[in-house]
Amino acid sequence: MSIFKEHKTVADRSASDRRRHKQKIEKAIREGIHHIVADESIIGQDGKKKFRIPVRGIKEYKFVYGTNNGNKQVGSAPGKDVKRGQKISDNQQQGGGNPQKASDEKGEEFYDVEITLEELAEYLFAELQLPDLQKRQLANITSEKLKRKGYRTDGILPRLDRKKSAISRIKRMKAAGFDKDEAKEDETFPFHEEDLKFRHFKATPKPCSNAVIFFIMDVSGSMSQDKKFLARSFYFLLYQFLRMKYESIDIVFISHSTEAQEVEEKEFFTVGTSGGTIASSALMLTNDIIEKRYHPSSWNIYVFQTSDGDNFNSDNEKFLKEARKIIDVSQLYGYCEIEPDSYYNNEKLYFVLQPLVGPNMKTVRIVEQANVWPAFQTLMGGKTA
Amino acid sequence: MNYSLDILSEWDEKICKLAKGHNLDWFEIAYETLDYFSMIGAMSYHGLPTHFDHWSYGKTFEQTIHRYNLGMEGLPYELIINSDPSIAYLMRENPLYLQILIMAHCVGHSDFFKNNRMFKNTRPETVVPRFRAAKKRIQSYIENPNIGIDAVEDVIDSCHAIQFQTTKYGQVRRSHSEIKAEYVELINNDKDGEYKGFDINKIPLEPDFDILGFISEHGKMPDWKRDIIDVCRDEGQYFWPQIQTKVMNEGWASYWHYTMCHELDLPDEMHLPFIKMHNQVVRPHVGAINPYHLGFHLFQKIKERHGIEECFLARESCHDAAFIRQYLTEEDCVDLNLFTYSSKRREGVTVDDVSDEIGWEEVKRDLVKQVGGGSIPAVYVEDVRKNGTLIVRHEHDGRDLELQHSNQVVKHIKTLWSGEVTFYTMIEGEVWEI
Repeated sequence: MSIFKEHKTVADRSASDRRRHKQKIEKAIREGIHHIVADESIIGQDGKKKFRIPVRGIKEYKFVYGTNNGNKQVGSAPGKDVKRGQKISDNQQQGGGNPQKASDEKGEEFYDVEITLEELAEYLFAELQLPDLQKRQLANITSEKLKRKGYRTDGILPRLDRKKSAISRIKRMKAAGFDKDEAKEDETFPFHEEDLKFRHFKATPKPCSNAVIFFIMDVSGSMSQDKKFLARSFYFLLYQFLRMKYESIDIVFISHSTEAQEVEEKEFFTVGTSGGTIASSALMLTNDIIEKRYHPSSWNIYVFQTSDGDNFNSDNEKFLKEARKIIDVSQLYGYCEIEPDSYYNNEKLYFVLQPLVGPNMKTVRIVEQANVWPAFQTLMGGKTA
Repeated sequence: MNYSLDILSEWDEKICKLAKGHNLDWFEIAYETLDYFSMIGAMSYHGLPTHFDHWSYGKTFEQTIHRYNLGMEGLPYELIINSDPSIAYLMRENPLYLQILIMAHCVGHSDFFKNNRMFKNTRPETVVPRFRAAKKRIQSYIENPNIGIDAVEDVIDSCHAIQFQTTKYGQVRRSHSEIKAEYVELINNDKDGEYKGFDINKIPLEPDFDILGFISEHGKMPDWKRDIIDVCRDEGQYFWPQIQTKVMNEGWASYWHYTMCHELDLPDEMHLPFIKMHNQVVRPHVGAINPYHLGFHLFQKIKERHGIEECFLARESCHDAAFIRQYLTEEDCVDLNLFTYSSKRREGVTVDDVSDEIGWEEVKRDLVKQVGGGSIPAVYVEDVRKNGTLIVRHEHDGRDLELQHSNQVVKHIKTLWSGEVTFYTMIEGEVWEI
């Protein structure tokens, strides 16, 4: 004879282990971010657009045999005709469904996670500890906004709160012992001035929620597709981050070789590259646009520039002058040097700009995809490069 | 569930009576009814109600429920653990005939746990409390501000990677000093000079396949870490016999649910779905080995060829590799149409051998290699160098390791050993070092 009983309901036994697993996946998503940024025009997309991203699973490794002809598997196939040398399939592909080459590696598990840009941005920035610099840089331009703040007994009629007023009349009526049913026909209990309640508003300072971002990219002949790809990943992060902080964001794309021009996003990332570099041209155009369209008293201004660092030496002085101008009016001027070849040369703009580095001027360098996130942290997190 | 626990109990009584008549000898079974969600929860922790927490079980849960919701996978109809009493789970969603089949099946498993010699050292009477105690201790390490969840997880992650790297047949581990004493004895009585030049100070004196056991005994580490290693090792040792006897265990349980359900005289409306379900469970998986299918087939054949006593003898003394080596005949290989295949660089996956007169023995040899944990490579501790480096070697048997995995596992061993680890294997005939 056996024992029978209802399973003791342990309140969702695996909940905490699932949560812990989820945290690990989220970490993997953050680390797999470059898969998303490789996508088409995403910077200007609205936050609801969904992306499917392959996330490397939290793999548990064990010693296993590889797939090779030394490792024979046994199968059964009753009633079927099986012959020596018969082909069963092409070489086994594991992990399927992932467009990246990593899927060919044995034993990779991929989760396809569908998330919106907004969620993605949350994943990205949730754990980023932003020091004071960040707080200072955001939201130091303020405007006034009216905010509800309790009730008053006087005010203008449109702000009269009928319900509150009626309640206070009833209260007074009860206190006075007036009973409608017992009262004589012509006896009433009118509103008194003290019964009237008006909604009160108070002006409170509100941080200005407009921002403009200037994305400046060097499209001279030396900027290869690789470098532009890195630039794009970087811009993507910056855009997503600032978008979370401000209600509305204007973006200005400026590309330059020897001359600068304002372009559309698509063009910004796809246009072919040629020519030499005069970096000051882009900063000049930026300053020009700021003056005409985005006055620093009402706009939070961010300027980000990517370049491979090559510039005509004769232009450096002018470049620095324009850069100083930008630093004066902007919340942050970030300069990012992209050098996939890891080329080291102290004539590069990165070194030219070093004297200007300060609280709202940062310089970073990106050599490969893995540097994009740390570079972003450096720029927005106030750490030194 | 459109039947009461009392009804289940009535059927159980009939099953137990039949089973006793067949001389089955099992632990008392404690059935628990639950819904599918709790079932997946129980499965994620291998059915152990007091198993400690780790994110990997959350992952298992997510994967199972995901596949279940997509309809890619049914749930296993039964889940029973090797404990005394044996805890078994019955999903409320199951129809009555299926519960009857499962209960008969569970009696077979429990009998197997109790009598197969591989399970001799699993201590089923203490498994529930001893996992509960371990769970509490691990929780206390997680809550300890000097240790914390990340450190605890790292150790468990690493332990899981080599949890089943253990002695083949579940021998009780002998301590270094015991083995050393034996060698001292041998050397002292060594008249033929067989042990001349034997290094008695070597660690280990013999290749040690129980890697977690070795690290726990010889590694330098804080007590909490050693405790977690011991817990994970115990867990591995506890489950290892089930891995070694998967084919037999499922075959034995299927043999008995099949036999007893016929003897139960089920009414037609239950008998027909029962037969259908049974055929579903023991159907061959084309291109793979379904342990239910192979095990059920073999126990039936053993009974035909040698009588039921031989079945009981096999259930007591064999593990899967020995079982197949001893009982799988040419006729069976042909019946089951067993064949081998492998992946070749140029041609893709092709058939190597088929079960004809020339091929069946080769096919059988490869099958023996792959069952009962044979797909877990044998790896042992060979030496600890003067500088503390742990030397681990793969016992190569013709099958090359997958290197990406091996690299990661070696990292895990380093985490546990808290020192350098060098790993040797063979790749395409050449020594390979990680």
